[in-house]
Amino acid sequence: MDRRDFIKQVLLWSAGISTSIPSFRIGSELLAAEKAPAVVSHAKGKNYYDLVARVLEPLGGIGKYVKTGDHVVIKPNMAWDRSPDQAANTHPLVVKALVEHSLDAGAKKIMVFDRTCNEQRRCYVNSGIQQAMESIKDKRLAYYHPDTRKFVPVNIERGKAVNRLEIYRDAIEADTYINVPIAKHHSLSKLTLGLKNSMGVLGGNRGNMHHNLGQKLADLATVIRPKLTLIDATRILLRNGPQGGDLDDVKILDTLVASADPVAGDAFATTLFNMQPDAIPSTVAAYKMGLGEMHLDRMQIIQA
Amino acid sequence: MLKKGIKLRHWRRLSQVLCFILFLFLFIKTDYSGSNELPYVVNILFRIDPFLAVSVSLASKALIYLMWPSLIFIGLTFIFGRFFCGWICPMGSLLDASHSFIPQTRPGNANRFRSFKFYLLGFLLIGAFLGLPAAGYFDPFSILVRGLALSVYPALNVLATSFFTFTYLQMPAWVNMLTEPMYAFLKETILPFLQNHHDLAFLSFFILVTIFILERLERRFFCRSTCPVGAVYAIVARFSLMRGKGGTKCGKCRNCMTVCRMGAIDEERHISPLDCNLCMDCVDMCPGNKISFGFQQKEVARPVFALSRRTFLSSLALGTALPFFLDTRTMAKSPDPYLIRPPGALPEHEFLGRCVRCGECMKVCIGNGLQPTFLSAGIEGLFSPRLQARTGYCEYNCTLCGQVCPTGALAELTLAQKHVTKIGNVFFDKNRCLPYAKGIPCIVCEEHCPTPDKAIQFREGQVLNSKNEMIWVKQPYVIDERCIGCGICETKCPLPGRSAVRVTSAGENRNPQNALPAQSLLY
Repeated sequence: MDRRDFIKQVLLWSAGISTSIPSFRIGSELLAAEKAPAVVSHAKGKNYYDLVARVLEPLGGIGKYVKTGDHVVIKPNMAWDRSPDQAANTHPLVVKALVEHSLDAGAKKIMVFDRTCNEQRRCYVNSGIQQAMESIKDKRLAYYHPDTRKFVPVNIERGKAVNRLEIYRDAIEADTYINVPIAKHHSLSKLTLGLKNSMGVLGGNRGNMHHNLGQKLADLATVIRPKLTLIDATRILLRNGPQGGDLDDVKILDTLVASADPVAGDAFATTLFNMQPDAIPSTVAAYKMGLGEMHLDRMQIIQA
Repeated sequence: MLKKGIKLRHWRRLSQVLCFILFLFLFIKTDYSGSNELPYVVNILFRIDPFLAVSVSLASKALIYLMWPSLIFIGLTFIFGRFFCGWICPMGSLLDASHSFIPQTRPGNANRFRSFKFYLLGFLLIGAFLGLPAAGYFDPFSILVRGLALSVYPALNVLATSFFTFTYLQMPAWVNMLTEPMYAFLKETILPFLQNHHDLAFLSFFILVTIFILERLERRFFCRSTCPVGAVYAIVARFSLMRGKGGTKCGKCRNCMTVCRMGAIDEERHISPLDCNLCMDCVDMCPGNKISFGFQQKEVARPVFALSRRTFLSSLALGTALPFFLDTRTMAKSPDPYLIRPPGALPEHEFLGRCVRCGECMKVCIGNGLQPTFLSAGIEGLFSPRLQARTGYCEYNCTLCGQVCPTGALAELTLAQKHVTKIGNVFFDKNRCLPYAKGIPCIVCEEHCPTPDKAIQFREGQVLNSKNEMIWVKQPYVIDERCIGCGICETKCPLPGRSAVRVTSAGENRNPQNALPAQSLLY
């Protein structure tokens, strides 16, 4: 099955025409495409606008992922009612830069949203992301709260620990899905990185993901396939994650990590915490399912 | 002197409409608006209410500074009489608006139960003083705002959501081109941001509806016979400077008497300022233009209250006696452990004395965690707010409930104070909690725990799982000194049905009797 078929199923289901739950089975051709060595780029700098452009350069620049006329979803982590310096949410300037670069690349529509953990309006406002989005005066940008009507049940055909999830429609239908997580501590998954950030497109009772979280995140990653993962490590949360609240737990790194391979990006970002990729269960599970590379020595790591 | 000429009742109607719109505006704005500080005085309706001011002051044996605006309306009533009831009161305006839909069943304008409100007032005030706070059960604004907040407004959202969900899922694209912008507009303007769910939704609605059904007995029945705010205004209006005068030599058409919505005009065309709400219908409708309102009408006799001394004393006696029964109940000895009061709540007795059951805190609660209490706080605690953490939790960085409380029953806390205000403490049920009971990894509670040093911690423990394998799993526990009882862990616990972690009122700051066992000083 290819993506086009899947999106058609989603459309039919949403319109009430079809009652069969949309199913997604990642095709072998997609997996084969990942066989070339994964490229991970990382860069350090204070000017986040330039930093975003710089870190994407070795990957071919934003234009390789956002084509003219694309519908783009940019999915930051803004799950918590915390301020930017508390390092619980993606830095607003990183999101802003990414949106602006994507607009420049000719995106037709850019959608920014997250399903939050704390009260959603408070999260959007206090993460600083709402204000950052408001400052971009461009009609092609839409930032909004998820609409409960738009979660679609999806069969995860390759799922090992979960076989059906409710997923936000816009995330499925977008031409380009860009994942912009923040790298931070999490006591169950050890770290939350790209794969964990995808939970923000899920509806329903997400707490159930925690029972065998690593495998379930890998299962989710078979359906939510970001073309690009940009990991915000401008400041990282070392303890009391995922929401923190104490500035003593925050370390400033001014670093971004980017990769088209969702597993490789996570794997490299893990080293920023002085940990090895195999310490993160979701990375290992996703690697075993063939969703990406986790061995640092088999990736091409470029400092930009 | 006010003379007819321009239609006075049209001005009155305009005032009613404008005040009602203002009321609705403030009601809708009783919500988070992008900053933790509310930009409008959304609770003003309760703070201008002299009945609540007196009742709450008697209950707390102190003058409540927050309620000072009620003095303005006492002063204005001393000048103009019960104009508030006719020109401003949103409940009165609603009753007037619904009049043609709910006509009186029997003819006549006898005003038979007018004294009842005074007996009720006496009962409520002495009850408040002695420890039976029931003002909020009869105050019209409490009934109105509570009814709207707990039932009508959420129901409106259910209606809108189901309609637009239907159009979204079932209708062709061109219909959605019309309906989706409409839905977005309604969400921007009048609909609540999220669907709230409330306990006692039907009861609140039923009480509100009853006031409308009573219109079948007499027009403005509630205002004439029951309203304790009206009773306070009537007492002040007894001495008001401006009053109405009927014609002495007129054709006795009795138009004024029939048309009076308050039954304030008697056979002799005396207009009683105790009842008259200055609606001005009689002025406009008198065929002989005989009726006028003015300040120099010394010849108009001061009205009498015409109360039965025996009934009045009985109501006072009842109000005196009942409070002493309250302490005979078991709850005086062991209060409901799941009665979690919002942050900033005064000690229970004082809290109930001040709480006017207006529902503002439940309306504004951003997490839909505050729910009206049914009977677990006794008959005097009905509709008072409690945190029901399975429905919603207390947002760590939010202090809105203290901001909207019109009486200070919930103190207004700064964010720093809120962060250390302990409203309860959580307990784990190890028979249900997955890592303990089934060896399944979870700790969603720990993830959501908002204190910077998490109150919920975990340690690795060995458990036999259902396959009889001995496995290591992270098991949560609580550090009492850090837990503030916000209840987010109970809300987010992924178990179906009852949560495996529950907040109780144990350890709440406001009640030293509820202190948690400790081996050393906690703070």
